[in-house]
Amino acid sequence: MFEARTTRDRIGLHVLAVVLALPFLAPLVVMVSGSFAGRGWSNYEKVFATGVVGTYFRNSLIIAVSTIALVYVVTMLAAFGFAKLRIAGKEVWFWLLLAALTMPEAVLLTPLFVTASTFDLYNEHIAVILPLAALQVPFTVLLARSFFQGIPSELMEAGRVDGASILQVFWRIVMPLTRPIAAAIVVLTLISAWNAYLLPLLMLNDPDRQVVTLLPSFFTSQYTNDQTGVLAAAVITAVPQIIAYLSLQKYFERGLAAGALK
Amino acid sequence: MSTTAAARQTPGRSAPVPGRADDGAVTRRRGVRQASGLPWILPAVVLVIGLVYFSIGYTGYVSTLDWNGFILSPSEPVGGANYTEMVGDPVFWRSLWHTAYFFVITFTVQTVLGFVFAALMHSKLRFGTLFKVVVFVPTVLAPAIMAPVFRQIFDADGQLNRLLDAVGLDAVSRPWLADATTAMGVVMVVTVWQWTGLTFILFFAAMSQVDPEVMEAARIDGAGNIRALRSIVWPMVRGTTAALALLGLIGALKTFDVPYLVTKGGPNHGTEFLGTYIYQVMVAEKHFGYAAAISVALLVLAITGGVLMSIRNRRAERS
Repeated sequence: MFEARTTRDRIGLHVLAVVLALPFLAPLVVMVSGSFAGRGWSNYEKVFATGVVGTYFRNSLIIAVSTIALVYVVTMLAAFGFAKLRIAGKEVWFWLLLAALTMPEAVLLTPLFVTASTFDLYNEHIAVILPLAALQVPFTVLLARSFFQGIPSELMEAGRVDGASILQVFWRIVMPLTRPIAAAIVVLTLISAWNAYLLPLLMLNDPDRQVVTLLPSFFTSQYTNDQTGVLAAAVITAVPQIIAYLSLQKYFERGLAAGALK
Repeated sequence: MSTTAAARQTPGRSAPVPGRADDGAVTRRRGVRQASGLPWILPAVVLVIGLVYFSIGYTGYVSTLDWNGFILSPSEPVGGANYTEMVGDPVFWRSLWHTAYFFVITFTVQTVLGFVFAALMHSKLRFGTLFKVVVFVPTVLAPAIMAPVFRQIFDADGQLNRLLDAVGLDAVSRPWLADATTAMGVVMVVTVWQWTGLTFILFFAAMSQVDPEVMEAARIDGAGNIRALRSIVWPMVRGTTAALALLGLIGALKTFDVPYLVTKGGPNHGTEFLGTYIYQVMVAEKHFGYAAAISVALLVLAITGGVLMSIRNRRAERS
């Protein structure tokens, strides 16, 4: 896009890129260097010594995996139905789902809190998993539906002609073609479930049940004026996310891009 | 959920049925389109209606009550009193105003930064991937994880002030989070830091569609870098910009994590958003009816915003 014919211009472009990129790097540098401030690695030892890090990670993992599984199954079925099957009042159903797309979590706070207390689901992971999935599904269905629409119906008709049931057509012909969109759905749901803060904050009060996004608050309350511990906790939670992104870079970028444009 | 179970039981290991071309000689059985799709969409519909629509209805109901949220405590129907309170509540209007200018400023800054970055990354830079990763990483990090870091950076004796002092700008340094205006600035900086990566990736993808020959022709006609970007590339990625505007608007209405964690909505409601205000009214003040009324207002805004923006986008696409 930018054309640089002379060496001076080329250097100029690189300088511009560095100047623009540095502010994005700076907070991460502050986080890492701050976490070693004072007593170095023992800041980290202190964080692990509390014994809660593993629990928080395990809980985040349970919530993320369950949400992904639920969203994935529900989305694939619905997207196939919406894209390829006959449904009375299809548009109405679809718009019902789409209207939930813009739903801010805050709207759900009162009813979810009351419902969870009524059914004794307070502090249960399911009280976070179900709302997270319900908020994610409209989005992923919209995404997957247009992908399914791109699969030629002739391919499925052919399967039907060969005597396959609709379930077999779905499972053997359609599903193997959906890997790109499946990756996008998994990544989008992973990010929203792993990074979720408001719902766990409201629903999970018991430290045995809490998730990684609540870890910094835990440390802030434990060591009021010890910023190094808080930063070490932040690094510990950020590192797996960065590793996941770096190793699945392509899927993260495509998944988020696909999600945003729909 | 019977569909789900059935789908799981179907063996997936056997070879896929070969797709045979329909030569017309084969008698057609009931085609795919004729099968009923209702059972297929049912799990999604039940999940979304069960949770989201139930919640909307329930919120609407609670918004007419005076209630402290405890199941056993008495609730008193008060009709529209919560809404009357809302209309007269300066904090509610301030939250709305914050949301509006937060959206305008963060969207503008992100668009400019993301656009310039995307153009730079299409300019055959060395270490291009490195730049891309640096800008995109914040997008995948939880705001909740980064909040303590930003609190420290903008602290009265945090890294930013130390940097300013070091370069002789001590006149500028101040306790950033203690003043409403600068605290709002911090909330916006954190948001821009987090989401520019997404804007960048989308513009980057859109720019791949720009025909190099058109760019070449423009250059032959004497257009410089800035001119070519403004007159050719910018109009061609307008669809992306519109999608980002919608995303940004909804995002602004949903804003919670950053102001809640970095500034606690303060000082003195200076960075209050609708989400943080609802949380405060509900959890801290136990004023469930009023929180529900604000939720209803937020919901109406979110849906109206979404509908208006998508109508506008559709018109823009047609013209």
